[in-house]
Amino acid sequence: MKPEIDPHSGQETTGHEWNGIKELNHPIPRVFSLWLWASILCAAILWVLYPSFPGYHQVLGGVLGYSSRGAVNDAVIKGQEQRAEAYAKFAQEDYETLLNDPALKATYQDEIGVLFRDNCAACHGRNGQGQLEFPNLRDDHWLWSADPEEIQYTLQVGINADHEDTRMAEMPPFGRDEWLEQADIDHVIEYVLQISNQPHNAEMAHLGETIFEENCAGCHGDAGHGGYENGAPSLTDTAWIYGSSRADIADTLHNGRRGVMPAWSGRLSESEIRQITMYLMWWAD
Amino acid sequence: MEHAKLERHGMAFALAVLGVAAIGGFVEIAPLFTIENTVEQVDGMRPYTPLELAGRDIYVREGCYACHSQMIRTLRSDVDRYGHFSLAAESMYDHPHQWGSKRTGPDLARIGGKYSDDWHVAHLERPRALVPGSVMPGYAFLSQTRLETDHLSVALSALSRAGVPYSEEQIALAEFDAFSQADPEATYDQDLFVRYGENVQIRDFDGDPNFLSEMDALVAYLQMLGTLVNFDNIDAKEIAR
Repeated sequence: MKPEIDPHSGQETTGHEWNGIKELNHPIPRVFSLWLWASILCAAILWVLYPSFPGYHQVLGGVLGYSSRGAVNDAVIKGQEQRAEAYAKFAQEDYETLLNDPALKATYQDEIGVLFRDNCAACHGRNGQGQLEFPNLRDDHWLWSADPEEIQYTLQVGINADHEDTRMAEMPPFGRDEWLEQADIDHVIEYVLQISNQPHNAEMAHLGETIFEENCAGCHGDAGHGGYENGAPSLTDTAWIYGSSRADIADTLHNGRRGVMPAWSGRLSESEIRQITMYLMWWAD
Repeated sequence: MEHAKLERHGMAFALAVLGVAAIGGFVEIAPLFTIENTVEQVDGMRPYTPLELAGRDIYVREGCYACHSQMIRTLRSDVDRYGHFSLAAESMYDHPHQWGSKRTGPDLARIGGKYSDDWHVAHLERPRALVPGSVMPGYAFLSQTRLETDHLSVALSALSRAGVPYSEEQIALAEFDAFSQADPEATYDQDLFVRYGENVQIRDFDGDPNFLSEMDALVAYLQMLGTLVNFDNIDAKEIAR
């Protein structure tokens, strides 16, 4: 059938007629159909070049051999190399040298702060000031000593964490497990209030002293100064992880405490752990 | 006017439409038949314990997936921040998976072990007390709500029909296992290791050892996320192929 030509416009019609009305045949512009065919061609080329479709035994890998997982592995390794170079000082030099390098803090503090905020700030706060149940890192009270090597070790293995060498520190639930009579606990509470210079009942505190020596001094020391060997906090200063009020201390004695610091080995690299250790040391300056 | 011919033959046109639609169907459906090629062979993956599963159900019930993804993408920025990219094997027991598509909060695929139980409990109860500026809602009621456990056997049994390899013993003892995982003084905890593997974490998760709450279950689930696969034994080349 030959296409009919509309006499007015000189264009072809579609050949359909509706009550005498005919439609001009305007095919889509050629550029659009070319674009469509070009896209199909590109898809076919990409299909050949890149991994495209799972086969029965193996995915059709594509002639370029590209893999997004391989690409990200390479990118991560490259990034690690770049960082190893940029932070080489932290991995190679001892803490004394690092602490005596005045330029280090100015150069690196901001960058390492990102690492701290992403991993540590959730518990210890953005500025390391700590919060109830999570120790302040900016004061000079340390549970396992202020030695950077010890701080690094705590970061690596954690406290009460799932690392096999983790530090262990537990305040037993004296009340809940009935290790001590309630009356004895009340006396110890007054004694702890006394040695931490808080208002207390002197008579009860006096009774509590012997109980403290028999039950608490093993970890907290005879005078309640704590000990770096077992991470027992000093009870004579103003830094309290779980609160210093009579009610807080009673809660601690009844239910015990077993604070967890996660182990960061594995999640962070050795160099990153040393960077964070230095970040903490710079605060102490 | 090539299409005029096609349009005038009804049956031929119907067959042509079917043919074109079938291409789309083939592209979508065929990969499902080769799923064994997609799921990597890894050490450590196991079906969720009943307590973790109960926590996962709470995660779904509260809509956590609306703001948290569980999918570390193959992008350097993702891997740097969250750890090894997610493997298909890590969601193979998920029905449905919790990959999510939006990160109002951070990705949770490897949150397990990153923070302490105490932190999770305090943060779920009062998010802004720990993270100023957080927009996460508080879930304080989870600590006070007793965990429903009587349906756990049925839940495990339903999942086993969907292909999760729960044994009959695991199904029968589901409720018992849920209680023992959150009981640090249980003397029968070895049974859990035997039934589910060495990477089960057994302790009181919510700080109240006398009460099995929904908080116990949710924290047990969160602390498990991303910790199952043993990445020491992974062949990076094989995984990346």
